Amino acid sequence: MRRWTVRTHLAGLVALAAAACARGERAPAAGPAIIDDADRRVTLAAPARRIVSLLPSFTEMLFAIGAGDRLVGRTAWCDYPPAALAVPSVGDGIPPNVEAVAARRPDLVVLYRSGPNATAAEQLERLGIRTVLFDLNRLEELAPAARRLGVLTGRKAAGDSLARAMDSLVSQSPESPTPSRKSLVFVVWDNPPIVIGAGSYLDRLAGLAGARNVFHDIAAPSAQVSIETIAARNPDFIAVLSDTAAPPRYAGRPEWRVVPAVRKGRFLVLPGGLFGRPGPRAAEAVRELRRRLETTP
Amino acid sequence: MKYLLLAGAALATLAAALLLGPANVPLADLASSAIVWQLRLPRAVLAFLVGGALGVAGTSLQALVRNPLADPFLLGLSGGAGLGAVAAIALHLPGPWALPLAAFVGAVGAMALVYRLGLMGGAELDPRILLLGGVAVGAFAAAVTTALVSLAQATELRNAFLWLWGGFSGASWTTVLVMLAYAPLPLGVLAAAARPLDLLALGEEPAQYLGADVRRLKRVVYLAASLLTAAAVAVSGVIGFVGLVVPHVCRLVWGRLHRTLLPTAFLTGGILLAAADTLARTVVAPRELPVGIVTALIGVPVFAFLLRRWTVG
Repeated sequence: MRRWTVRTHLAGLVALAAAACARGERAPAAGPAIIDDADRRVTLAAPARRIVSLLPSFTEMLFAIGAGDRLVGRTAWCDYPPAALAVPSVGDGIPPNVEAVAARRPDLVVLYRSGPNATAAEQLERLGIRTVLFDLNRLEELAPAARRLGVLTGRKAAGDSLARAMDSLVSQSPESPTPSRKSLVFVVWDNPPIVIGAGSYLDRLAGLAGARNVFHDIAAPSAQVSIETIAARNPDFIAVLSDTAAPPRYAGRPEWRVVPAVRKGRFLVLPGGLFGRPGPRAAEAVRELRRRLETTP
Repeated sequence: MKYLLLAGAALATLAAALLLGPANVPLADLASSAIVWQLRLPRAVLAFLVGGALGVAGTSLQALVRNPLADPFLLGLSGGAGLGAVAAIALHLPGPWALPLAAFVGAVGAMALVYRLGLMGGAELDPRILLLGGVAVGAFAAAVTTALVSLAQATELRNAFLWLWGGFSGASWTTVLVMLAYAPLPLGVLAAAARPLDLLALGEEPAQYLGADVRRLKRVVYLAASLLTAAAVAVSGVIGFVGLVVPHVCRLVWGRLHRTLLPTAFLTGGILLAAADTLARTVVAPRELPVGIVTALIGVPVFAFLLRRWTVG
């Protein structure tokens, strides 16, 4: 019995090795090749023609570099540009529905690097579908992702040009801190209060718009804090991501009214579609935030 | 002497909760600071009330089902509350009280279902069926909740879980008043049942012979303890561990008589939760820890120490 299992195990190894050789032969050196953010070498025989994007930011970037017509699948959240809505949805993507993705018969699946997504990528690779994992938490990560998407789709010039635009946005020196600089807090959730820290692209977005995130000292993308801390740091504005223009429902609650900006109703209600994700429209988001900071009393 | 110490500890905990916090409030401004009056004080009082309610509910439920593992949330209440909260968000119920009210309704619904199950084996409320029914109803509600969260495409739903993990971020004088108006009735009912609960420890039949109306007692205690827990969950989410450990600690220190056990469980639960909340607010400032983590971090070592002393002694 034991010898039998060893033998089948060996047979399996041989089959795997053969498969690996076959794959090696199939991928010619001339096809696009990149290293993704999971440190995996991703090579394609030819530029990707059937792409599934599992993050709204990637969908926006693919359209921005002129590869939107190659999309054969997107997540339910991918609503920009409007043309993206014509692409079939493969679900909400948290975690990805591997079967629904495979059913679109893609030759490349673009995923955001996270634990569940890495598992899904492995499963897809086992089905013979190439995957690529990119980090996308900070604005600085947009340019490298754009550059590599350009390579993988055979639109290197467009990818590089988008990357340069992203780089030049990020390299703008944030205005030197002056006493008159407006301060804000991004409140993501009210009970318990969750705010945005320096690890998020929103922190950088605020800096580029000339505002100061009062929770810049928190390194994580987001963190739970107490209302007391928000009150003590006394931001000029409460920034909220929402699809409705109304101030958030906690604005009238007595415990929140201890925060002066809440009491004065100084909310910046930012459209979730534009601010909820880092993407090619980051410069537009910066301009919009700057405009709101100047016009909101 | 032990009682004086307990009362002193309660006052010291509340004072510390007022004095300590992530914001720096000078002692001179303490009386006029909005941060102290509108945030710290209601939060400390609410944590104390909820801790006390969970301590008393846990003590009475452990006596009722005669099982040391009983916890106010074991009997399906947390599952029901979670379902209510998630449903409130999924249905976009408006108003600041929608979420706590829905959680309360969910908890009471689960309680009613478990109660009904408990009555099925004849007219008696069978403790074993209460426990099993509670676990089953809780698991079912949790499954429906998870299904709702994974099927509905709303990021907000994920945040319902944050709320459910428990905490006092939403504390205000309004929530304190709600709890102050609500809690005395079930607390009074349980206090009145102190003597029959002592008899119940001897077993249901002996308790009956000694003059306790066991059937009525079980129903009243179950309903009062559950309604108390449902109110706690509505104002602060599910905070584990307090209702499990506090009764044991009190029994080890003060013995088994419910006349002393119930008030000391109230004070001990209040102290534990108010102290845990103060630590949750301050130790990792400017960030904040979920209070349930702190209750477990303080509670487990204390519990282990007492258990050791108890088994060695």
